[in-house]
Amino acid sequence: MAKRRHHWIVRVTHWVNVVALTIMIGSGLQIFNAYPRFARRGETFCCYPWEGTPVPSWATFGGWLAGARNWHFAMMWVLVLNGLIYIAFIYLHGEWRDLVPRKGFFRDSWQMTRFYLFARKDHPVQGKHNALQRAVYFLMPWVALVIVVTGVAIWKPVQLAPLTNLMGGYVWARYWHFMSMVVLIILSLIHIFMVFAVDPYSLRAITTGGYNEENSPEARNARPFQNLLPNRFRKKRTTPAPASQ
Amino acid sequence: MTIDRRQFITLSGLSLLAACDSRGPKSAEKFLRYAERKNEQLERALFRHTSIDVPPAGARLTGDALPSYFISKTVPIWDESKRGPWALEVGGMVDRPQKLTLKNLLDLPRTHQRVNHYCVEGWSAVEQWTGVRLRDLARLAGAHKGAKYVDFESFDDGYHESWDIESALHHQTVVAYGLDGRMLGPAHGAPARVYSPTKLGYKNTKYLTRIMFLPNRTGGYWSDQGYEWYAGV
Repeated sequence: MAKRRHHWIVRVTHWVNVVALTIMIGSGLQIFNAYPRFARRGETFCCYPWEGTPVPSWATFGGWLAGARNWHFAMMWVLVLNGLIYIAFIYLHGEWRDLVPRKGFFRDSWQMTRFYLFARKDHPVQGKHNALQRAVYFLMPWVALVIVVTGVAIWKPVQLAPLTNLMGGYVWARYWHFMSMVVLIILSLIHIFMVFAVDPYSLRAITTGGYNEENSPEARNARPFQNLLPNRFRKKRTTPAPASQ
Repeated sequence: MTIDRRQFITLSGLSLLAACDSRGPKSAEKFLRYAERKNEQLERALFRHTSIDVPPAGARLTGDALPSYFISKTVPIWDESKRGPWALEVGGMVDRPQKLTLKNLLDLPRTHQRVNHYCVEGWSAVEQWTGVRLRDLARLAGAHKGAKYVDFESFDDGYHESWDIESALHHQTVVAYGLDGRMLGPAHGAPARVYSPTKLGYKNTKYLTRIMFLPNRTGGYWSDQGYEWYAGV
Protein backbone atom coordinates (compact mmCIF):
# COMPACT_ATOMS: atom_id res chain seq x y z
CA MET A 1 0.00 0.00 0.00
CA ALA A 2 1.19 3.44 -0.82
CA LYS A 3 2.45 5.59 2.00
CA ARG A 4 -0.27 7.72 3.54
CA ARG A 5 0.10 11.40 2.74
CA HIS A 6 -0.86 12.40 6.30
CA HIS A 7 -0.27 10.40 9.46
CA TRP A 8 -3.50 9.34 11.18
CA ILE A 9 -2.77 11.68 14.08
CA VAL A 10 -2.66 14.61 11.68
CA ARG A 11 -5.90 13.48 10.03
CA VAL A 12 -7.76 13.01 13.31
CA THR A 13 -6.55 16.27 14.84
CA HIS A 14 -7.43 18.11 11.63
CA TRP A 15 -11.08 17.05 11.74
CA VAL A 16 -11.40 17.44 15.49
CA ASN A 17 -10.05 20.92 14.96
CA VAL A 18 -12.65 21.64 12.28
CA VAL A 19 -15.46 20.77 14.68
CA ALA A 20 -13.96 22.44 17.75
CA LEU A 21 -13.02 25.60 15.89
CA THR A 22 -16.44 25.92 14.28
CA ILE A 23 -18.12 25.64 17.67
CA MET A 24 -15.63 28.04 19.25
CA ILE A 25 -16.20 30.65 16.53
CA GLY A 26 -19.98 30.26 16.59
CA SER A 27 -20.27 30.42 20.36
CA GLY A 28 -17.73 33.23 20.48
CA LEU A 29 -19.82 35.27 18.07
CA GLN A 30 -22.94 34.56 20.13
CA ILE A 31 -21.12 35.89 23.19
CA PHE A 32 -19.92 38.88 21.16
CA ASN A 33 -23.52 39.64 20.19
CA ALA A 34 -24.41 40.21 23.85
CA TYR A 35 -22.29 43.36 23.60
CA PRO A 36 -21.21 43.79 19.98
CA ARG A 37 -18.76 46.58 20.64
CA PHE A 38 -15.43 46.99 22.35
CA ALA A 39 -15.74 50.33 24.13
CA ARG A 40 -15.82 50.38 27.89
CA ARG A 41 -19.24 51.60 29.08
CA GLY A 42 -19.48 55.34 28.62
CA GLU A 43 -16.50 55.51 26.30
CA THR A 44 -15.77 55.16 22.62
CA PHE A 45 -13.40 52.77 20.91
CA CYS A 46 -10.99 53.89 18.25
CA CYS A 47 -10.45 50.86 16.15
CA TYR A 48 -13.59 48.99 15.27
CA PRO A 49 -15.86 50.52 12.63
CA TRP A 50 -18.90 48.33 13.34
CA GLU A 51 -19.43 49.13 17.00
CA GLY A 52 -22.93 48.08 17.98
CA THR A 53 -23.61 45.86 14.97
CA PRO A 54 -24.28 42.24 15.92
CA VAL A 55 -23.09 39.45 13.67
CA PRO A 56 -25.87 37.56 11.85
CA SER A 57 -27.44 34.82 13.92
CA TRP A 58 -26.67 32.10 11.36
CA ALA A 59 -23.03 32.54 12.33
CA THR A 60 -23.72 31.97 16.01
CA PHE A 61 -23.89 28.83 18.11
CA GLY A 62 -25.31 28.00 21.53
CA GLY A 63 -28.75 29.58 21.28
CA TRP A 64 -28.28 32.24 23.94
CA LEU A 65 -25.55 33.84 25.97
CA ALA A 66 -25.34 31.20 28.71
CA GLY A 67 -25.51 28.34 26.22
CA ALA A 68 -22.79 29.90 24.11
CA ARG A 69 -20.59 30.52 27.15
CA ASN A 70 -21.00 26.93 28.31
CA TRP A 71 -19.98 25.65 24.90
CA HIS A 72 -17.12 28.12 24.61
CA PHE A 73 -15.62 27.25 27.98
CA ALA A 74 -16.01 23.52 27.37
CA MET A 75 -14.84 23.36 23.76
CA MET A 76 -11.80 25.49 24.48
CA TRP A 77 -10.21 22.47 26.17
CA VAL A 78 -10.85 20.27 23.16
CA LEU A 79 -9.31 22.91 20.92
CA VAL A 80 -6.25 23.40 23.11
CA LEU A 81 -5.59 19.71 23.82
CA ASN A 82 -6.12 18.81 20.17
CA GLY A 83 -3.77 21.60 19.13
CA LEU A 84 -1.11 20.46 21.58
CA ILE A 85 -1.32 16.87 20.33
CA TYR A 86 -0.93 18.08 16.74
CA ILE A 87 2.02 20.35 17.51
CA ALA A 88 3.74 17.73 19.66
CA PHE A 89 3.26 15.14 16.92
CA ILE A 90 4.56 17.20 14.02
CA TYR A 91 7.48 18.27 16.16
CA LEU A 92 8.44 14.75 17.27
CA HIS A 93 7.66 13.10 13.96
CA GLY A 94 9.44 15.60 11.75
CA GLU A 95 6.39 16.79 9.82
CA TRP A 96 7.17 20.34 10.86
CA ARG A 97 9.80 20.36 8.15
CA ASP A 98 7.03 20.42 5.55
CA LEU A 99 5.34 23.32 7.30
CA VAL A 100 7.87 25.91 8.39
CA PRO A 101 9.01 28.37 5.74
CA ARG A 102 12.35 27.36 4.34
CA LYS A 103 15.21 29.12 2.65
CA GLY A 104 14.05 31.09 -0.37
CA PHE A 105 10.54 31.38 1.03
CA PHE A 106 9.86 34.81 -0.45
CA ARG A 107 11.22 33.87 -3.86
CA ASP A 108 9.16 30.68 -3.87
CA SER A 109 6.03 32.54 -2.75
CA TRP A 110 6.54 35.06 -5.49
CA GLN A 111 6.92 32.33 -8.07
CA MET A 112 3.72 30.64 -6.86
CA THR A 113 1.89 33.95 -7.05
CA ARG A 114 3.19 34.51 -10.57
CA PHE A 115 2.03 31.06 -11.56
CA TYR A 116 -1.48 31.67 -10.22
CA LEU A 117 -1.57 35.00 -12.07
CA PHE A 118 -0.57 33.33 -15.37
CA ALA A 119 2.71 35.26 -15.36
CA ARG A 120 4.52 31.96 -15.23
CA LYS A 121 3.68 28.87 -17.21
CA ASP A 122 4.96 25.97 -15.14
CA HIS A 123 4.00 25.13 -11.63
CA PRO A 124 7.06 25.77 -9.45
CA VAL A 125 8.71 22.66 -8.10
CA GLN A 126 7.61 22.08 -4.54
CA GLY A 127 7.82 19.47 -1.84
CA LYS A 128 4.73 18.34 0.02
CA HIS A 129 3.26 21.84 0.03
CA ASN A 130 3.93 24.96 -1.99
CA ALA A 131 5.39 28.07 -0.41
CA LEU A 132 2.04 29.86 -0.01
CA GLN A 133 0.53 26.80 1.65
CA ARG A 134 3.46 26.60 4.01
CA ALA A 135 2.90 30.22 4.95
CA VAL A 136 -0.75 29.58 5.84
CA TYR A 137 -0.17 26.27 7.64
CA PHE A 138 2.71 27.83 9.54
CA LEU A 139 0.78 30.95 10.54
CA MET A 140 -2.33 29.14 11.73
CA PRO A 141 -0.88 27.68 14.95
CA TRP A 142 0.66 31.05 15.83
CA VAL A 143 -2.62 32.87 15.33
CA ALA A 144 -4.31 30.14 17.37
CA LEU A 145 -1.78 30.76 20.13
CA VAL A 146 -2.68 34.46 20.15
CA ILE A 147 -6.36 33.53 20.30
CA VAL A 148 -5.81 31.24 23.27
CA VAL A 149 -3.64 33.69 25.20
CA THR A 150 -5.99 36.64 24.63
CA GLY A 151 -8.90 34.37 25.49
CA VAL A 152 -7.36 33.45 28.83
CA ALA A 153 -6.71 37.15 29.41
CA ILE A 154 -10.39 38.07 29.09
CA TRP A 155 -11.51 34.99 31.01
CA LYS A 156 -9.46 35.84 34.11
CA PRO A 157 -8.61 39.56 34.00
CA VAL A 158 -8.31 39.77 37.80
CA GLN A 159 -6.69 36.49 38.78
CA LEU A 160 -4.33 36.69 35.79
CA ALA A 161 -4.13 40.48 35.67
CA PRO A 162 -0.47 40.62 34.52
CA LEU A 163 -1.41 38.69 31.39
CA THR A 164 -4.40 40.94 30.68
CA ASN A 165 -2.27 44.04 31.23
CA LEU A 166 0.25 42.68 28.77
CA MET A 167 -2.47 42.82 26.10
CA GLY A 168 -3.23 46.42 27.00
CA GLY A 169 -6.02 45.69 29.49
CA TYR A 170 -9.39 43.96 29.28
CA VAL A 171 -10.87 46.04 26.46
CA TRP A 172 -7.85 45.54 24.23
CA ALA A 173 -7.47 41.88 25.11
CA ARG A 174 -11.07 41.38 24.03
CA TYR A 175 -10.32 43.24 20.80
CA TRP A 176 -7.21 41.15 20.04
CA HIS A 177 -9.17 38.00 20.81
CA PHE A 178 -11.76 39.02 18.24
CA MET A 179 -9.31 40.24 15.61
CA SER A 180 -7.09 37.17 15.83
CA MET A 181 -10.23 35.09 15.28
CA VAL A 182 -10.95 37.17 12.16
CA VAL A 183 -7.43 36.45 10.91
CA LEU A 184 -7.85 32.73 11.56
CA ILE A 185 -11.16 32.73 9.69
CA ILE A 186 -9.54 34.44 6.72
CA LEU A 187 -6.68 31.94 6.67
CA SER A 188 -9.18 29.08 6.96
CA LEU A 189 -11.32 30.42 4.13
CA ILE A 190 -8.28 30.73 1.87
CA HIS A 191 -7.34 27.17 2.80
CA ILE A 192 -10.82 25.82 2.08
CA PHE A 193 -11.08 27.74 -1.18
CA MET A 194 -7.74 26.41 -2.40
CA VAL A 195 -8.63 22.84 -1.45
CA PHE A 196 -11.69 22.94 -3.67
CA ALA A 197 -10.22 25.10 -6.39
CA VAL A 198 -6.75 23.61 -6.77
CA ASP A 199 -6.37 20.29 -4.98
CA PRO A 200 -9.69 18.55 -4.22
CA TYR A 201 -7.71 15.29 -3.99
CA SER A 202 -6.29 16.55 -0.72
CA LEU A 203 -9.74 16.03 0.85
CA ARG A 204 -9.16 12.30 0.50
CA ALA A 205 -5.62 12.69 1.76
CA ILE A 206 -6.69 14.42 4.95
CA THR A 207 -9.47 11.88 5.56
CA THR A 208 -8.19 8.44 4.65
CA GLY A 209 -4.62 9.44 3.91
CA GLY A 210 -4.69 8.20 0.33
CA TYR A 211 -3.17 10.45 -2.32
CA ASN A 212 -1.99 9.92 -5.85
CA GLU A 213 1.05 12.06 -6.59
CA GLU A 214 0.05 12.08 -10.27
CA ASN A 215 -2.90 14.19 -9.26
CA SER A 216 -0.91 16.69 -7.25
CA PRO A 217 -1.31 20.32 -8.33
CA GLU A 218 2.31 20.32 -9.38
CA ALA A 219 1.82 17.29 -11.61
CA ARG A 220 -1.41 18.70 -13.04
CA ASN A 221 0.05 22.18 -13.32
CA ALA A 222 -3.11 23.27 -11.53
CA ARG A 223 -4.34 26.77 -11.06
CA PRO A 224 -7.61 27.56 -9.26
CA PHE A 225 -10.53 25.95 -11.09
CA GLN A 226 -8.17 24.77 -13.81
CA ASN A 227 -10.76 22.39 -15.21
CA LEU A 228 -13.08 25.31 -15.84
CA LEU A 229 -10.47 27.25 -17.74
CA PRO A 230 -10.33 27.35 -21.57
CA ASN A 231 -7.99 24.80 -23.11
CA ARG A 232 -5.16 27.12 -23.93
CA PHE A 233 -4.58 27.78 -20.23
CA ARG A 234 -4.17 24.11 -19.46
CA LYS A 235 -1.03 22.16 -19.79
CA LYS A 236 -0.42 18.51 -20.19
CA ARG A 237 0.56 16.54 -17.09
CA THR A 238 4.28 16.75 -16.47
CA THR A 239 4.45 13.13 -15.41
CA PRO A 240 2.90 10.87 -18.00
CA ALA A 241 0.13 8.66 -16.76
CA PRO A 242 1.26 5.05 -16.52
CA ALA A 243 0.26 2.91 -19.45
CA SER A 244 -2.69 0.93 -18.37
CA GLN A 245 -2.80 -1.53 -21.22
CA MET B 1 -28.44 46.42 26.69
CA THR B 2 -30.35 46.43 29.97
CA ILE B 3 -33.33 44.98 28.26
CA ASP B 4 -31.63 42.34 26.15
CA ARG B 5 -30.92 39.72 28.75
CA ARG B 6 -34.16 40.29 30.58
CA GLN B 7 -36.18 40.43 27.41
CA PHE B 8 -34.71 37.13 26.47
CA ILE B 9 -35.89 35.54 29.69
CA THR B 10 -39.36 36.97 29.25
CA LEU B 11 -39.50 35.56 25.78
CA SER B 12 -38.07 32.24 26.79
CA GLY B 13 -41.38 31.26 28.35
CA LEU B 14 -42.33 30.76 24.72
CA SER B 15 -39.00 29.70 23.38
CA LEU B 16 -38.03 27.37 26.21
CA LEU B 17 -38.41 24.36 23.97
CA ALA B 18 -36.37 25.95 21.24
CA ALA B 19 -33.71 26.95 23.75
CA CYS B 20 -33.52 23.40 25.06
CA ASP B 21 -33.10 22.14 21.53
CA SER B 22 -30.34 24.59 20.82
CA ARG B 23 -28.46 23.35 23.85
CA GLY B 24 -28.16 20.06 22.09
CA PRO B 25 -28.66 16.47 23.13
CA LYS B 26 -28.46 15.14 26.69
CA SER B 27 -24.91 13.88 26.23
CA ALA B 28 -23.80 17.37 25.21
CA GLU B 29 -25.44 18.74 28.33
CA LYS B 30 -23.42 16.23 30.38
CA PHE B 31 -20.22 17.26 28.67
CA LEU B 32 -20.95 20.94 29.31
CA ARG B 33 -21.70 20.32 33.01
CA TYR B 34 -18.53 18.29 33.32
CA ALA B 35 -16.49 21.08 31.75
CA GLU B 36 -18.09 23.65 34.03
CA ARG B 37 -17.17 21.59 37.12
CA LYS B 38 -13.59 21.19 35.90
CA ASN B 39 -13.33 24.86 35.03
CA GLU B 40 -14.56 25.77 38.49
CA GLN B 41 -11.87 23.57 40.07
CA LEU B 42 -9.23 25.26 37.97
CA GLU B 43 -10.56 28.73 38.68
CA ARG B 44 -10.67 28.07 42.41
CA ALA B 45 -7.10 26.82 42.26
CA LEU B 46 -6.09 30.01 40.44
CA PHE B 47 -7.87 32.21 42.97
CA ARG B 48 -5.56 34.33 45.13
CA HIS B 49 -6.58 36.76 47.83
CA THR B 50 -3.56 38.77 46.72
CA SER B 51 -4.85 39.16 43.14
CA ILE B 52 -6.21 42.67 43.18
CA ASP B 53 -8.20 44.36 40.46
CA VAL B 54 -6.70 47.65 39.35
CA PRO B 55 -8.61 49.80 36.84
CA PRO B 56 -6.66 51.06 33.82
CA ALA B 57 -4.58 54.15 34.44
CA GLY B 58 -6.48 57.26 33.38
CA ALA B 59 -9.80 55.47 32.99
CA ARG B 60 -12.76 57.72 33.77
CA LEU B 61 -15.55 56.65 36.08
CA THR B 62 -18.38 55.20 34.03
CA GLY B 63 -20.92 57.17 36.08
CA ASP B 64 -24.34 57.44 34.50
CA ALA B 65 -23.34 55.23 31.58
CA LEU B 66 -23.42 52.27 33.95
CA PRO B 67 -26.44 50.13 32.96
CA SER B 68 -28.92 49.24 35.62
CA TYR B 69 -30.23 45.71 36.02
CA PHE B 70 -33.04 44.26 38.08
CA ILE B 71 -35.51 41.47 37.50
CA SER B 72 -38.63 43.13 38.94
CA LYS B 73 -40.94 44.89 36.50
CA THR B 74 -40.07 48.28 37.97
CA VAL B 75 -37.10 49.62 39.86
CA PRO B 76 -37.16 47.84 43.24
CA ILE B 77 -37.53 50.39 46.00
CA TRP B 78 -37.69 49.46 49.69
CA ASP B 79 -41.06 50.71 50.91
CA GLU B 80 -40.60 51.59 54.59
CA SER B 81 -44.30 52.20 55.13
CA LYS B 82 -45.05 48.58 54.24
CA ARG B 83 -41.95 46.71 55.23
CA GLY B 84 -40.55 48.79 58.07
CA PRO B 85 -37.06 50.18 58.07
CA TRP B 86 -34.56 48.39 55.86
CA ALA B 87 -31.97 46.29 57.60
CA LEU B 88 -29.33 43.88 56.45
CA GLU B 89 -29.41 40.49 58.13
CA VAL B 90 -26.26 38.48 58.54
CA GLY B 91 -27.07 34.95 59.52
CA GLY B 92 -26.62 31.23 58.95
CA MET B 93 -23.49 29.67 60.39
CA VAL B 94 -22.53 32.60 62.58
CA ASP B 95 -22.05 33.10 66.33
CA ARG B 96 -23.70 36.51 66.45
CA PRO B 97 -26.48 36.98 63.89
CA GLN B 98 -26.74 40.64 62.90
CA LYS B 99 -29.48 42.95 61.81
CA LEU B 100 -27.76 46.08 60.55
CA THR B 101 -29.54 49.28 59.69
CA LEU B 102 -28.04 51.56 57.08
CA LYS B 103 -26.72 53.71 59.93
CA ASN B 104 -25.05 50.63 61.48
CA LEU B 105 -23.39 49.93 58.14
CA LEU B 106 -22.22 53.51 57.80
CA ASP B 107 -20.65 53.29 61.27
CA LEU B 108 -18.60 50.22 60.38
CA PRO B 109 -15.05 50.56 58.99
CA ARG B 110 -15.46 52.11 55.58
CA THR B 111 -13.63 51.25 52.40
CA HIS B 112 -13.42 53.08 49.07
CA GLN B 113 -12.37 51.22 45.98
CA ARG B 114 -12.08 52.16 42.37
CA VAL B 115 -12.41 48.95 40.40
CA ASN B 116 -13.43 47.40 37.12
CA HIS B 117 -16.83 45.91 36.54
CA TYR B 118 -16.85 42.83 34.32
CA CYS B 119 -20.23 41.93 32.88
CA VAL B 120 -21.05 38.47 31.57
CA GLU B 121 -22.08 40.19 28.33
CA GLY B 122 -18.53 41.30 27.69
CA TRP B 123 -18.64 44.93 28.66
CA SER B 124 -16.62 46.51 31.39
CA ALA B 125 -16.91 49.70 33.38
CA VAL B 126 -15.01 51.54 36.07
CA GLU B 127 -16.74 52.42 39.32
CA GLN B 128 -15.89 53.69 42.74
CA TRP B 129 -17.62 51.83 45.54
CA THR B 130 -17.95 52.85 49.16
CA GLY B 131 -18.96 50.29 51.72
CA VAL B 132 -17.98 47.66 54.23
CA ARG B 133 -15.71 44.77 53.43
CA LEU B 134 -17.55 41.51 53.59
CA ARG B 135 -14.72 40.00 55.62
CA ASP B 136 -15.40 42.66 58.27
CA LEU B 137 -19.05 41.66 58.38
CA ALA B 138 -18.04 37.99 58.62
CA ARG B 139 -15.80 38.82 61.55
CA LEU B 140 -18.48 40.94 63.19
CA ALA B 141 -21.00 38.12 62.98
CA GLY B 142 -18.46 35.46 63.83
CA ALA B 143 -18.86 33.30 60.76
CA HIS B 144 -17.98 29.66 61.36
CA LYS B 145 -15.06 27.89 59.74
CA GLY B 146 -17.45 25.34 58.28
CA ALA B 147 -19.30 27.96 56.27
CA LYS B 148 -18.01 27.25 52.77
CA TYR B 149 -20.62 29.25 50.89
CA VAL B 150 -22.39 32.57 51.20
CA ASP B 151 -25.80 33.40 49.81
CA PHE B 152 -26.69 36.99 49.03
CA GLU B 153 -30.44 37.59 49.05
CA SER B 154 -32.36 40.62 47.84
CA PHE B 155 -35.79 42.21 47.74
CA ASP B 156 -35.64 42.20 43.94
CA ASP B 157 -38.29 39.56 43.29
CA GLY B 158 -36.32 36.72 44.85
CA TYR B 159 -33.01 37.46 43.14
CA HIS B 160 -30.09 35.89 44.93
CA GLU B 161 -26.71 34.40 44.13
CA SER B 162 -24.52 32.15 46.24
CA TRP B 163 -20.73 32.33 46.32
CA ASP B 164 -17.75 30.32 47.44
CA ILE B 165 -16.43 31.65 50.73
CA GLU B 166 -12.97 32.51 49.34
CA SER B 167 -14.33 35.01 46.82
CA ALA B 168 -16.69 36.43 49.43
CA LEU B 169 -13.80 37.10 51.79
CA HIS B 170 -11.56 38.63 49.11
CA HIS B 171 -10.76 42.07 50.37
CA GLN B 172 -12.26 43.76 47.31
CA THR B 173 -15.63 42.16 48.08
CA VAL B 174 -17.75 44.82 49.74
CA VAL B 175 -21.28 45.52 50.79
CA ALA B 176 -21.54 48.87 49.04
CA TYR B 177 -23.85 51.73 49.94
CA GLY B 178 -22.02 54.38 47.93
CA LEU B 179 -21.28 54.66 44.21
CA ASP B 180 -18.96 57.24 42.68
CA GLY B 181 -18.97 59.34 45.85
CA ARG B 182 -22.76 59.46 46.32
CA MET B 183 -25.17 57.26 48.17
CA LEU B 184 -26.24 54.32 46.04
CA GLY B 185 -29.38 55.07 44.01
CA PRO B 186 -32.33 52.72 43.44
CA ALA B 187 -31.13 52.02 39.88
CA HIS B 188 -27.96 50.38 41.17
CA GLY B 189 -29.21 48.45 44.17
CA ALA B 190 -30.01 50.89 47.00
CA PRO B 191 -29.82 50.79 49.94
CA ALA B 192 -26.92 48.35 49.70
CA ARG B 193 -25.56 45.73 47.36
CA VAL B 194 -22.64 43.36 46.98
CA TYR B 195 -19.80 44.38 44.75
CA SER B 196 -16.61 42.54 43.92
CA PRO B 197 -14.44 42.72 40.81
CA THR B 198 -13.59 39.06 41.38
CA LYS B 199 -17.03 38.00 40.15
CA LEU B 200 -19.03 38.72 37.02
CA GLY B 201 -21.68 41.37 37.50
CA TYR B 202 -24.62 39.02 37.91
CA LYS B 203 -23.12 37.41 41.00
CA ASN B 204 -23.18 40.77 42.75
CA THR B 205 -26.65 40.84 44.30
CA LYS B 206 -28.26 44.28 44.50
CA TYR B 207 -31.06 45.42 46.80
CA LEU B 208 -29.43 43.29 49.47
CA THR B 209 -31.49 42.04 52.43
CA ARG B 210 -29.67 39.04 53.81
CA ILE B 211 -26.23 37.46 53.86
CA MET B 212 -26.28 33.80 54.83
CA PHE B 213 -23.15 31.80 55.68
CA LEU B 214 -23.91 28.23 54.64
CA PRO B 215 -22.36 24.77 54.43
CA ASN B 216 -23.69 24.20 50.89
CA ARG B 217 -24.10 26.18 47.73
CA THR B 218 -27.60 27.40 47.04
CA GLY B 219 -27.47 28.28 43.37
CA GLY B 220 -28.67 31.65 42.22
CA TYR B 221 -31.03 33.48 39.93
CA TRP B 222 -28.86 33.37 36.82
CA SER B 223 -26.82 30.31 37.78
CA ASP B 224 -30.02 28.26 38.00
CA GLN B 225 -30.85 29.25 34.43
CA GLY B 226 -27.61 28.03 32.93
CA TYR B 227 -25.03 30.73 33.60
CA GLU B 228 -21.87 29.57 35.37
CA TRP B 229 -22.32 29.35 39.11
CA TYR B 230 -18.71 30.21 39.89
CA ALA B 231 -18.41 33.11 37.43
CA GLY B 232 -15.01 34.12 38.76
CA VAL B 233 -13.05 36.84 37.03
